[in-house]
Amino acid sequence: MRGTGGTMTATGWRARRDDALWGPETGRRLVFVQTGLAALIGLRVALGSYRQLAGTPGPLFDPVPILAWAPSMPPAWGFVALQVLGTLAAVAAVARRRPRLAFALAWLCYLVLAGLRGSRGKVLHNDLLLLWTAVPFLLAPVAARWDERTARRDRGWPIRSAMVIAALIYFLAGYHKLRRSGLDWAIGDNVRYVMLWGPSVGAAKWDAMATWIGEHLWASQATGAFILTFELTFPIVLVKRWLQPLYALVAVALHVTTFLFLGLDYWAWACTVLLLFVDWPALLDRMRGAPAPSG
Amino acid sequence: MSEAVDAEIVDGGPPPAARRLVLGALALLLAAGLIGFDAWPLTAWRLFSLARGDRQTEWVLEAATADGSTRTLSLEDLPLRYRHAAWPMAGLPEASVARREDVCQALLEPAQDVVPGLVALSLVRDRQRLVHRGGEWVVTHDPEVVHTCAAPAAP
Repeated sequence: MRGTGGTMTATGWRARRDDALWGPETGRRLVFVQTGLAALIGLRVALGSYRQLAGTPGPLFDPVPILAWAPSMPPAWGFVALQVLGTLAAVAAVARRRPRLAFALAWLCYLVLAGLRGSRGKVLHNDLLLLWTAVPFLLAPVAARWDERTARRDRGWPIRSAMVIAALIYFLAGYHKLRRSGLDWAIGDNVRYVMLWGPSVGAAKWDAMATWIGEHLWASQATGAFILTFELTFPIVLVKRWLQPLYALVAVALHVTTFLFLGLDYWAWACTVLLLFVDWPALLDRMRGAPAPSG
Repeated sequence: MSEAVDAEIVDGGPPPAARRLVLGALALLLAAGLIGFDAWPLTAWRLFSLARGDRQTEWVLEAATADGSTRTLSLEDLPLRYRHAAWPMAGLPEASVARREDVCQALLEPAQDVVPGLVALSLVRDRQRLVHRGGEWVVTHDPEVVHTCAAPAAP
């Protein structure tokens, strides 16, 4: 009996893992997410303040490992060339012209530009959620169409695996808070001082609210406990899929308030989470009164 | 709406190359995350992970002009490419004099744009403390000059 039960449990666990990683989605959702990610990458590439980094003096240039071969920051025209190439590739991916090649080219330009931005000594995370969740889409099927309403595994795996990557990233962010600082991160004075000190780079957009939270210990402790709980429990959305829109909205709120209170630019994270964890085509269908696809 | 919805699930799944790509990416993310190393784009995801308290260290610049006056500059006063200089500066106390001079000289030019007539620039480690005094939060400073470099004389 134990053996049978154990086997069933293992089988059930495997099925759950396979469903989380390679589960079915509709072709229309795949087209929507793939196009949305390409558009996001295009916006980050086109709008980023990259060429201002040209002329960074050698002693302040500390290339990230994948750019260790670079002797210095590129000149301004080099940044502009990468931005133009990446933007055009993203536009082609959105228009579904040679989508796989276009998506890969846009992603590569984005990787290099974000890497150069992070080649000044500080580990930057602003672009990493989008970069990493876009990885499965480098090999995503390109034959999917907007009118495909059948949930299929060969359409679903890029979305599902990107969700697993995103959930892992949020979890690891919470894990390191616990590992480095313990529960004090949430229930000690930490958030109070994060709010009162403000950002080390840039400026808060809503200083008064940040100060208010810092001055009310219960508010800062509640904020800390909420953030830590949110990050550590994020992977639950992989099995409790009905929680996905809720977690996506909380993530957006977290990133918006991070911008308001600390001036940090995490809008790419907010948009990525919204793209991945809300089934927009199904929502659109529901709004139009069409039956939703099952699976 | 005439579009029919087919609820059938076709069991395809990812091709082997895609499976390897995803599993490889997850393995790399997990390794960096659990071991805790940074090799961008791999990182340990230490976002705000170190609990903050009432003390912090900030790196600032002190510009001296010919008339003997000094002015403290924040790195935020400089163009974008210099604003993360606090990270290279954090390694200077253990660095060689040559390295300190290199970093100092790198910051001299933008500092001269902000402070015309600058004759010397100091890299300052400012140990700060946040105290509640008289109903408001006040930052106390304990600056320590780590290195000073002179501006080249005007031709």
